[in-house]
Amino acid sequence: MFRHIFLNFFCKKPAIGMDAIRAVTGGATGEWAGGPARLDAAFRRSIRIRQVDAGSCNACEWECTALGNPIYDVSRFGIDFVASPRHADVILVTGPVSLGMAGALKKTYLAVPEPKIVIACGDCAKDGGVYRDAYGVLDGAASVVPVDGYIPGCPPSPAAIMKCIMDILESAAK
Amino acid sequence: MSPENEKYIEVSAPDFSRKCAEYSRRHFLRMMFAADERELDGHFRVYAVFSPAGCDRFDILTMKLKEDNLSYESITPLVPAAHWYEREMRDMFGIIPSGHPDARPLIMHGMYGDVYPLRRDVTAAGIKNAVDLSREDGYSFMNVKGEGVYEIPVGPVHAGIIEPGHFRFSAVGETIYHLDPRLFFTHKGTEKLFESVGFEKGAQLAERISGVSSFSHSSAYCMAVERTAGIEISPRAKAVRTLIIELERLYNHIGDIGNMCAGTGFAVGYAKGAILKEELMALNERLTGSRYLRGINVTGGVTRDVFEDADEIISVLDGVKRGFKDFMEFLLDSVSHTERLEGTGLLSREIALRMGATGPAARASGISDDIRRAHPHLSYGSLIFEAHTYLKGDVYSRMMVRRDEVECSFSIIDSLMERRHEGELGTSINEIMAGRSALGYTEGPRGSIFYWIKAAGDGKPLRVKVRSASFCNWPLLSYAIHGNIVPDFPLVNKSFNLSYSGCDL
Repeated sequence: MFRHIFLNFFCKKPAIGMDAIRAVTGGATGEWAGGPARLDAAFRRSIRIRQVDAGSCNACEWECTALGNPIYDVSRFGIDFVASPRHADVILVTGPVSLGMAGALKKTYLAVPEPKIVIACGDCAKDGGVYRDAYGVLDGAASVVPVDGYIPGCPPSPAAIMKCIMDILESAAK
Repeated sequence: MSPENEKYIEVSAPDFSRKCAEYSRRHFLRMMFAADERELDGHFRVYAVFSPAGCDRFDILTMKLKEDNLSYESITPLVPAAHWYEREMRDMFGIIPSGHPDARPLIMHGMYGDVYPLRRDVTAAGIKNAVDLSREDGYSFMNVKGEGVYEIPVGPVHAGIIEPGHFRFSAVGETIYHLDPRLFFTHKGTEKLFESVGFEKGAQLAERISGVSSFSHSSAYCMAVERTAGIEISPRAKAVRTLIIELERLYNHIGDIGNMCAGTGFAVGYAKGAILKEELMALNERLTGSRYLRGINVTGGVTRDVFEDADEIISVLDGVKRGFKDFMEFLLDSVSHTERLEGTGLLSREIALRMGATGPAARASGISDDIRRAHPHLSYGSLIFEAHTYLKGDVYSRMMVRRDEVECSFSIIDSLMERRHEGELGTSINEIMAGRSALGYTEGPRGSIFYWIKAAGDGKPLRVKVRSASFCNWPLLSYAIHGNIVPDFPLVNKSFNLSYSGCDL
C-alpha cells in the first residue's frame, strides 16, 4: 500500500489544473501566497471561509469542494473552508436565497466576527438567476446580508472562484 | 392522445385506493401527483404512475376530484411508497388523503401560511405577499422517549460544503435509534416557475434543479416536451444525449466512491477519487463548454454533436479507465476502509421495495430496476447491458453497484463510438395543443428521473411535475441509519448521495 501511495502521490503529477489556474490568474500560481498587502494586515495571510448554501442547485458547492482537491488545493494559498461561522473571515453565499434559508443565512452572518466579508457566489446569489421569478426565493444574497462582491458564473469554475475571491478581498482591503 | 407506452385508466375516487393497492403488487409506483385542471374540465386530478416489471408500459391511474370535496381515501396504508407524494399533494394543492398516517406538512415551511402554491388561480406574487418570515415553523419532530435517550439537532447549515437540511437524531449512547429529517429548506417553487417560463426555456431551468444531475434532468424534461408535442428526435441527437448521460454517470459515480472515503476519514482514497473526477469534469468542459454539461439539451434535440470530439473522449476515458481500475484495487485492498463499509447502513430489500427506492440504492438492495432497461429510450434500446444488483444493501454494496455501473458506462460509450449516427441535431417543435400530456424519463446517476407535462391553452405548460430520484430515496435514510452509530451517519449519507435541491424543488 505504501508503494502505491508513493507512486501515485509523489511521482504522478496532476494531469490538469495548473494550466487552467494560470490561464485565469495570468501568471504563476505562487504569487497568491503573499496576498494583497493591506489584506495581510487584516487577515494575516490566512482566509477562512464559511460557505452557506441558500437554496443553490448544488453545482456551486461542488465547485467549492473541488477547490480542496489535490489539483486546485487552495489551502496552499492560505484559504480554507471552515465548519463554524465563529472561525470564519469570509462568508460565501450560493443560491438565490430560498425563503427557508433566509433566517439561517442571517444567523450565520451574525455569528461571523468582525472584520468580515460577504461574497455572493454564482448567478443565483447575484440576483436570483434562473430562479428570479419563483415564489420561494428572495432574488439574491443582497436581500438578506450586505454583499461585498460577486462571482459570476453558473456555476463559476473552481479557478474562477479562486481568482474572484482574491480580487474581492483585494478591493475590500482598499 | 398520448404516447404509445402510456395507458391512462380512469378510476372513480372511492375505488382509487383499492385499485392502487392492486397495481402496486406487481408494478413499481413510479410517481404520484396532482394537477389543477379546472380550466380544462372543472376538476382537480390525481395521477398514480405504475410500470409493470419487465414491460415497457406505464399504467397511469387517474381520478377526478371536485373543488368542493378534495378528500379521498389515502393509499399510503396500503402502498407505503406513496407517503411523501400524498403529503406533497396536500401541501401544494390542498388535496386531503384521509387516513394518511402522517399529518405534518412536508414541503411548505411555517413562513408560507395557508396557501396552496400549485393551484392555477394562485399567483407567485400572491404567495410572496402572504409570506411572513418571522412565523415559526411549528414542525413537530417525532419524539423518542426512554431512559438515556437524547436528541442531536443538526442543520440546516451543516459543517461541510453541502446543502441545507435539518436532522434530528434520537440516540442512545452512540447508537442512532431514530432519524427524523426536516428538509425542503431549499424549496424555491420550481414547478410553479416551469408554468410561467414556457416549454423552451424550461430546459435551462431543468438543468438547474440538481447540479450534478443537470444533464439527466434536462434530458428527461426535453423528452417529456418532445413526447407531448408528438415529435421524435433524430438518432444522432439521441446518441449524443445517451453518451452525455453516461458521461454524467461516470463523474458522479467515481466522485461518489471517492466521497465515501471522506466518510471514513480515508484522505488518500478521497484525493484519488477527486483527481479522477476532476479529469472527467475538465473533459465535460472541453466537450460542452460546461463542467456540468449544461447548454447541450434543448427541446427538440441538442446544440452540439460531441461525437466530433471522439478522439478526445477516447483518449481521456482510456486514462480514466486505467486510473479507476487502480483506484478500485487500492480501495478494496485497504481493509481499514472496507471494514467500515461492510454491514453499515443496511437497507433491506423489503423496505427498499415497499418504500419505492430507486437507482443504485435500490439495486444495492437486490431490486433489479433500471429505467434504461425497463423503458428503453434514447439509444438504450440498441445497447446490451445489465442492471447491476447486489443483495446485501449495505454501504459496501452501494459502492460496488457504482463500480459495476462505471464499467458498464465505459462500454456503453465505447459501443456508441463504434457506430454512425445519422440525422439533424435539432427538430422544430410546433405549437403544443392544450390538454396534451406525456411523461419523460431517464436513469440519472442517483436513480430514475421522471417528468410529466401537460399543456395549457396559452402555449405554456399547465403542469410540470418533476420527480427526482432523491425524492424517493430520502425517506430510506431513516431506515438505513437505524441502529448505526452517529459517526457513521456521514458515510451512510454519502453512500446514498442524495440531492437536497432536487428533492426540495
